Amino acid sequence: MKRETLHVRWGGRGELFACVLLSVLVHVGLSVPASAQSTLPAPVEVQVIDTPNDGGASLTVLWAPSGSDSPDARYQILLGNGGAIDPASLKVIAEFPADTRFVKDVKSAWWTREAEKTWHQYVIRSGKDAEIQDGTAYTVAVALLKREDRAMSSLVQATPAPNWFNWNQLNNLILALSFGGIVFYAISHARRNEIFLRRIPGLDAVDEAIGRSTELGKPILYLTGAHDMSDPSTIAAAVILGRVAKRTAAYETELMVPHRDPITMAVCQEITKQAYMEAGKPDLFKEDSNFFITSDQFSYTAAVDGIMLRKKPAANFFMGSYFAESLLLTETGASTGAIQIAGTDSDHQLPFFVTTCDYTLIGEELYAASAYLSKEPVQIGTLRGQDIGKAVILSAIVIGTVLATIGAVTGAQWPSLFLDFFKDVK
Amino acid sequence: MLKIDRRIIFLVIGLCTLLPLLYPVGLPIKISSEVRGVYNHIESLPERSVLFMSLDFDPASKPELHPQAIALLRHAFRKNLRVVTMTLWVSGTGLADQIVTQVAKEMGKENGKDYVFLGWSPGNTAVIINLGQNLYNTFPSDYGGKPTKGLPVLDGVQSLKDVTYMVSLGAGNPGVEAWYVFGKDKYKFEMGGGCTGVMAPGLYPLLRSGQINGLIGGLRGAAEYESLIDQKGKAVAGMDAQSATHVAIIVLVIICNLFYFSMRRAAQQHSQVGS
Amino acid sequence: MIFLRRQLPLLITMITGLLFAGQYYVPHPASEQLLTSATKWLQIVGGFALVLGVTSLFHQHAAKIRRKEEGWGYSLVLYAGMLGTIAVGLWANGKESLEGAATAFGWVYSYMLVPLQGTMFAILAFFIASAAYRSFRARSREAAVLLIAAVIVMMGRVPLGEYLIPLSGDVSQWILNVLNASVRRAILIGVSLGAVALSFKIIFGVERSYLGGGKE
Repeated sequence: MKRETLHVRWGGRGELFACVLLSVLVHVGLSVPASAQSTLPAPVEVQVIDTPNDGGASLTVLWAPSGSDSPDARYQILLGNGGAIDPASLKVIAEFPADTRFVKDVKSAWWTREAEKTWHQYVIRSGKDAEIQDGTAYTVAVALLKREDRAMSSLVQATPAPNWFNWNQLNNLILALSFGGIVFYAISHARRNEIFLRRIPGLDAVDEAIGRSTELGKPILYLTGAHDMSDPSTIAAAVILGRVAKRTAAYETELMVPHRDPITMAVCQEITKQAYMEAGKPDLFKEDSNFFITSDQFSYTAAVDGIMLRKKPAANFFMGSYFAESLLLTETGASTGAIQIAGTDSDHQLPFFVTTCDYTLIGEELYAASAYLSKEPVQIGTLRGQDIGKAVILSAIVIGTVLATIGAVTGAQWPSLFLDFFKDVK
Repeated sequence: MLKIDRRIIFLVIGLCTLLPLLYPVGLPIKISSEVRGVYNHIESLPERSVLFMSLDFDPASKPELHPQAIALLRHAFRKNLRVVTMTLWVSGTGLADQIVTQVAKEMGKENGKDYVFLGWSPGNTAVIINLGQNLYNTFPSDYGGKPTKGLPVLDGVQSLKDVTYMVSLGAGNPGVEAWYVFGKDKYKFEMGGGCTGVMAPGLYPLLRSGQINGLIGGLRGAAEYESLIDQKGKAVAGMDAQSATHVAIIVLVIICNLFYFSMRRAAQQHSQVGS
Repeated sequence: MIFLRRQLPLLITMITGLLFAGQYYVPHPASEQLLTSATKWLQIVGGFALVLGVTSLFHQHAAKIRRKEEGWGYSLVLYAGMLGTIAVGLWANGKESLEGAATAFGWVYSYMLVPLQGTMFAILAFFIASAAYRSFRARSREAAVLLIAAVIVMMGRVPLGEYLIPLSGDVSQWILNVLNASVRRAILIGVSLGAVALSFKIIFGVERSYLGGGKE
């Protein structure tokens, strides 16, 4: 953050004089009234700073509240070039009622607040009336207007600059790092100790589904969802595919994986190939078991429905993210009599999966699936880390609810202090 | 009866959709607070403010999202807002162009001055990020091929940061959620949303936490918006059909449960007699 | 080879993962520029990936036609549809209309894609009804609660429901706003934590099965 008042470089004698004059005016705290007869108090303690935690090209004006902050009074923000000393040379770039634009209205964390909550705050950005450039000094003033009266503050200078860290997001960083730390600690703990993992019925059914397909001599259909490889749900679906492919290879059952995203297809091809090799059946691996259909939602759905009706797979797996196509897929699958196992983090589609599939992995169970199937310490440790994270969030919710209730019932102010803290540490 | 032929159910639903469309009743529509949220915000905007609309749907969701887009555009043009539109769905480009051109023509608005359709750009959520940096680099020209730089409708707009209000009408991904995560959260602008009826319950957490200030959900939401702007269209007409199908599904569920309980009782009695 | 197949991708993942996780906290234009460039690269790579997909599609259907597999005629339709659309799209320069008049590509869009997609989406209503009939049974107390909530919400979301039971609108609104939103938030918290944990594991190379299964 770069904060400036008048400490800027000046060239030339005239400018030096202007600088001295302006310095005197500012530091003595005198105001420059627009009208000699004005009875209005001029805005005081005006600070102009480079807007903190931003990408630059912006200045923030802060000033103390006044007794004249009523709805019929108005504030004006005036802006001029860095060397301006004549208030008349400044241009009005904003005007608003005097009882608006407070620090408390600005959505920023309490640790980055530059002034009291009751102070006024206005952020100057490039727009139709003003062009703000980084590294250029600007002169700013605030004027208070009421009917015919107008009182102007001292002129203040500042230079905008971009910042290298957004301190408003410090909480986010700390929480993310803490959670990451917890996850890695839990993984190392899981490597040394046995951790209990509750049963996930949907995953117990995976073997049953593959076994049934083998008995019936019918293929298995596996879908990885609507998203691409940048989505964690698709990655989780791809990881589970590896485990499923290993079993289908062992049972020598046909596997079909139609895709909506070419990159996901390429990755899944590799995963399937590896799974067949690990199962000791590389000769059974078919390159075209993973195939691309289209990225269009309903064209893909129509194609997969066609595959279901023609090939009649004995088991359908729906893992990953889904939208409106979910019911069209699962209802068609149900009509063919296939065992259906779904796993999705698309909460809006859960009702459809729950009603039409035999087993559904809900939300993060999808992520837990790979841990359950592999029983690897790394995966199980991650689950333990997630549980600790959830416990922390749950505690914060419970404490916050209790405090908010106490505050509402008793009318006491102290709970709001804690609630403010919680509000920002989110 | 529990395993009734699906075609009978399909026939019932088909008739319940078709008959009210042929013989409309016109039941009154109650306005919900979430739809009013979007309406009130647009109503509060001063003239020539910039409304950014992303029509993120394809023809599949046309019945629900097309009336929403029409109603929103009519409202915006009536308020004399500058309307900037685009789509993140390539298969929705033609549809979005048709919608914007049709409403603008109806309201006597001029392309480039009062509105612009930027078209589609590849990259899904990456487009949102790029728009947050610089609109002109992301869309150097509009859908018609006119350079965007210098268009009066974009006067003072460099990026998403300069947008007064943004509404995403999304049928999936990328949609409302993507615009919040990659757009509003990063570039801080006020935002509302519209979506299909199936998706609406999933977006309530965003709405309740104030991350979006309003939500138009499905055909019902569109009908509410049409009622608010007092220009009843396809959505209001479709509400009778939706009413009938909802009631039909409820009746089917009740019938199914009656059969289920009667069969269960019969099975229990049978087992008691047997023992 | 193992370096190119394993170490290098893991290294790239780690560096870019950390870089772009850090980028979120840096508002400086240089950081924003980095993000813009990366997203552009992503778009370019994504474009090339489509070639991969189309090749797979062509190969799959060519094999079907060659082997005269069941339904091979549909594969011919696919070829005709795809090549035909590409041809008219190129002819019309990708535009659906020129000076208000629909191009051949616009005709394909308006009179084939729009009704076909609309039909697919419309099937949902029929499938919802059939799934509801088959599955919405009060088998247990919990299922009965779900059933009653579903009926109230369905009544409350349409004018006829509100007309028949005036209270249903407010009750359904309450169910959506309070019960539904809180449950979804709980699921979202779980999902988000899972996603963050998975991201950490991928960035630091703990989870590497997405690169092609197995441990080394």
